Amino acid sequence: MASPTDISTIYESIIASILGIWFLLTILCQFRYTKFSGYIRHTVDVFGLIPLWTFFAPNPGKSDYHLLYRDKIDEDIHGDWEEMDITEERSLWSWCWNPDKRDKKILADVIQSLVASIPHYKGDKGYDLLMFSMPYLIVLHAVSHCKCNSGSVQRQFMLAETSGYLKETSPSVILLSVFHQI
Amino acid sequence: MTSIIETNQLILMILSVGLFISTLEYIKKIQIFSPTGLLSWNVMQLRWEKKDHNSFFSPMFKLFNEKGLAIIFGLRCLIILGLLFYPLETTYGWILVGLLGCSLLASSMITFYGSDGSDQMNMLIIITLFLCHSPLVEGTRLATLGLWFIGLQTCLSYTVAGIAKLVSKEWRASTAIKDVFSTKTYGSRWAAVLLKKYPGINVFLCWNVMIMETLFPLCLILPFNYALIFIIWGFIFHLLTAIIMGLNSFFWSFMAAYPALFYINHQIQHLF
Repeated sequence: MASPTDISTIYESIIASILGIWFLLTILCQFRYTKFSGYIRHTVDVFGLIPLWTFFAPNPGKSDYHLLYRDKIDEDIHGDWEEMDITEERSLWSWCWNPDKRDKKILADVIQSLVASIPHYKGDKGYDLLMFSMPYLIVLHAVSHCKCNSGSVQRQFMLAETSGYLKETSPSVILLSVFHQI
Repeated sequence: MTSIIETNQLILMILSVGLFISTLEYIKKIQIFSPTGLLSWNVMQLRWEKKDHNSFFSPMFKLFNEKGLAIIFGLRCLIILGLLFYPLETTYGWILVGLLGCSLLASSMITFYGSDGSDQMNMLIIITLFLCHSPLVEGTRLATLGLWFIGLQTCLSYTVAGIAKLVSKEWRASTAIKDVFSTKTYGSRWAAVLLKKYPGINVFLCWNVMIMETLFPLCLILPFNYALIFIIWGFIFHLLTAIIMGLNSFFWSFMAAYPALFYINHQIQHLF
């Protein structure tokens, strides 16, 4: 029968191995564009336990993202563009209490993921397939639940970026969707 | 030198403060998980394949709505409050840390978009504390190993961030910080205007961040007085990113790892 010391030693060995493998995988997955890293991140790591520590690098996030939508009133008449309130200025207390960072981060992650996936959908019908991608569906789902004043059943959205306070570059459109049934 | 028990307890206490704030922030923003929210399960479930809906994860899927997640976050706050009364070394404290880890793992399944490095650091530390403080284990060998794991992951995080910046054209051109600070998402108007007016500050900040992040692991091996330079730099760095960029949760999750750095540094100095 195993003594408490034996059990303790076995447990220690198992945990030491787990931590060792975890650390090794973290190092290997810092190379974000390798096949191995992609496989671990998207297939194995369902809980997001393998961190990617490349904060604000190599591309520092230098844009504010905006999500706008408009309704089709009839064939030739469209409603005005409305913006989802996400990129608001931070309050004075955001150094200790900043719940708004979550919406902004979700939208930034979704848009970055969408922009990164656009090249994979190049081709004849490629961009139609983009509409079935997860980031596209997240954005569409969010705008389709925004208040509708026109009574319209069709809605289009636009993802745009601006350069923030200094306005050193002009605002630009990242993606303009087709009209979707809502 | 602080004892290993005190070091681990300090880590848990600092982490708990940040995690409590972060959880209350999620509760304030609970509508993002509603059927009309950005992270509605109606859409997020598409991340899972059909076979996953019959896996052992599937019972958790029922919790991924506004009400279910409000319960998870509410319980998490209670667990954190419970840790005020039960230290990590007690069996109840260890169970509470385990439950805290479970709640973090559960919510991570739906916060695939929107979570950041501080959430990952929190999860990494909590799971390590749980695994390395099992009542099954005698002695402090595993607790020491856990501190080494937390310390090395922290050093890796800075070094990877530093190297990734060094290979970036925008960081080397010293425009990156001004560009980030000029966004409404991560910047501040006064900081952006200041950096535009005095480009020298921008150059100093960019190279300061790149060099200090890359060399950060030296804090483990340098004599303590020199290692303190990195520790103080890290404290100021995270404080400023909280004030200027609103990254409040990074401050707490990374500060929580610093007692592990102190411990490793002292252990190495003691060895040589």
